[in-house]
Amino acid sequence: MVKLGNPKNALWEALLITIVIFTLGLLFGIGYENNKVNQINEYYLNSEVSLMDSFSLSNIMDLNISDCSSLINNQMTFADKIYSESQILDNLESAGKITDNLQEIHTKYDALRTFLWISTIKTYNQCKGNFSVIVYLYNYNTNDLVEKAEQATWSRVLSDLKEAYGSKVILIPIAADSNLASLNSLVDNFNITSYPAVIINQKHVITKIPSVGDLEKYLN
Amino acid sequence: MIDFLTVVFLVYTFISLYFIIAYTLVYTFNKKRFFETPTSKNKLTLSIVVPCYNEQETIGNTIKTLLDLDYKHLQKIIVVDDCSTDNSFSIMKKYANQYRQVMVVQTPRNTGNAAGAKNYGVKFANTDLIGFTDADSFPKKDSVRKMVGFFDNPKIGAVTSSVLVKNRNKLIELFQAVEYKVIAFTRKLIGIVDAIYVTPGPLALYRKSAFDEVGGFDKNNWTEDIEITWAIVKAGYKVEMSLTSEVYTVAPDNWKQWFKQRLRWNVGGIQTLVKYKNQFLKKGMLGSFIIPFFLLTWCISLFGIAILIYRFVRTIIVRYLSTLYSIHAETAILRFSEINLTPNILVFFGGISLILSTIFTLFALYYVKEQDFKKYGFIPIVGFMFLYLLAYPFILIGSFYRYFKKTGKW
Repeated sequence: MVKLGNPKNALWEALLITIVIFTLGLLFGIGYENNKVNQINEYYLNSEVSLMDSFSLSNIMDLNISDCSSLINNQMTFADKIYSESQILDNLESAGKITDNLQEIHTKYDALRTFLWISTIKTYNQCKGNFSVIVYLYNYNTNDLVEKAEQATWSRVLSDLKEAYGSKVILIPIAADSNLASLNSLVDNFNITSYPAVIINQKHVITKIPSVGDLEKYLN
Repeated sequence: MIDFLTVVFLVYTFISLYFIIAYTLVYTFNKKRFFETPTSKNKLTLSIVVPCYNEQETIGNTIKTLLDLDYKHLQKIIVVDDCSTDNSFSIMKKYANQYRQVMVVQTPRNTGNAAGAKNYGVKFANTDLIGFTDADSFPKKDSVRKMVGFFDNPKIGAVTSSVLVKNRNKLIELFQAVEYKVIAFTRKLIGIVDAIYVTPGPLALYRKSAFDEVGGFDKNNWTEDIEITWAIVKAGYKVEMSLTSEVYTVAPDNWKQWFKQRLRWNVGGIQTLVKYKNQFLKKGMLGSFIIPFFLLTWCISLFGIAILIYRFVRTIIVRYLSTLYSIHAETAILRFSEINLTPNILVFFGGISLILSTIFTLFALYYVKEQDFKKYGFIPIVGFMFLYLLAYPFILIGSFYRYFKKTGKW
């Protein structure tokens, strides 16, 4: 019979090797996710600059130096930018498994979007509604299956609407459970009792999922 | 914070990675032991017991293959008729009349399980070693000779063989053919670390003194071949595996029979675990490896399937509701932008585990050679890995249900 060392040692050696490989894998994962966070942070900084720019433009309007169309265009471009970034962020968030940095960025984005909402209210009033502002309020941390299904459907309906109306609609999705004082203060004005909910042009609050056709009635 | 399901996934990945690495190390450092067939210097005498109940289709061929064995010191082939109601007994008698080596005995009344018939047959054996073959199994000519040499080591209490599938026409038979080969290879690997937990019925040899010491087979256990292995290990003996000793057995050819067989195996496993629960974490391979390994496998299976079902049901409900809402809202039921192809760490770990498991399966299939059979083809291997194995946890759930329904206790 062939004589060799104690084969049972392989069980302990395997444990050590597994721990090493697993730790390296986790570190790689953390590095990979952090890299994605940095990428999103760059987007965020860019968006912040755009928002400041939009805000400045709005103030220039007050001085009667600029016109409505450039302000609306500016806000539309900015809203579209952060809308597409939010989709990237959503994808990255669902792919982010071991770090929760992306959740913090999500809240930062929600603050940014709330700021945009405030800014559009002002623009909407100043420019007499040549466009429509749709604010989509949803729950970010929900385990309710019905709510999840409703939110998935709302996203589809609003995406269809945005595709159909492009530059005539500013679409601002915001997580209502972000716990932002400014957002809570704004939302309180609309007596919303359940989410998801959509506010169109500061007048209409819709909580039941409509078709695109139904929503069209509320647009300017 | 990492969510619960991610933690579960990482734990599963860790365990599968551990076993793949452990198997790789065991194989790498013990390659030479894989095909060892030590030659016996002790001329150990052997009797083989064949329990039989209504096996008229196969019993004749089983006796014939045993008569063809090339082990010189095989003294008796004891065929035990457990009061068959078919033609089995007359077939056995025919062979007994023709061959001096063949002895036919009949139990006074049907014992109701293989253990009873086997124990009855052992009463007529007085040899150094005692072997067992099922009445629908066919050992290869050199199989027993290759096993006996291991008994020159006085610590060896039992030796098991590579059980392979004889019938390979239907898909279910091919799945089992793949499965049995992978099991044979894995059993050799765990045998090297003295962790064999079963000496299957198709062909196993026991040192007679060890067999008598543990009191033979437990008639109350549904898998007497698992129970006796644990008893032998507990008694301080080692169990070896002769990878080159091949025995071909008739596997179930329909899902109903297959499920029944697997249920029996698992209920037997539960019975054995309950019987030896006091050995848990005690010194020796039984308490420190075999029992924890058994428990871990079960926990992983049951918990894994529970999580999988939970996730699956939740996803189905959300998909169903959102489809309903989408139809009502006259919008698409799925948008391309909803398909998230962003890679994540779990995909990375899962991919690594999948690749390693596939390599392991293919390696096992390559390694356990069979001369008389064609290759399986692609479908049985893929089906085995991705469909067949998924049935294991469900069988386990059924087995626990059966066990508790029957005994009503733990």
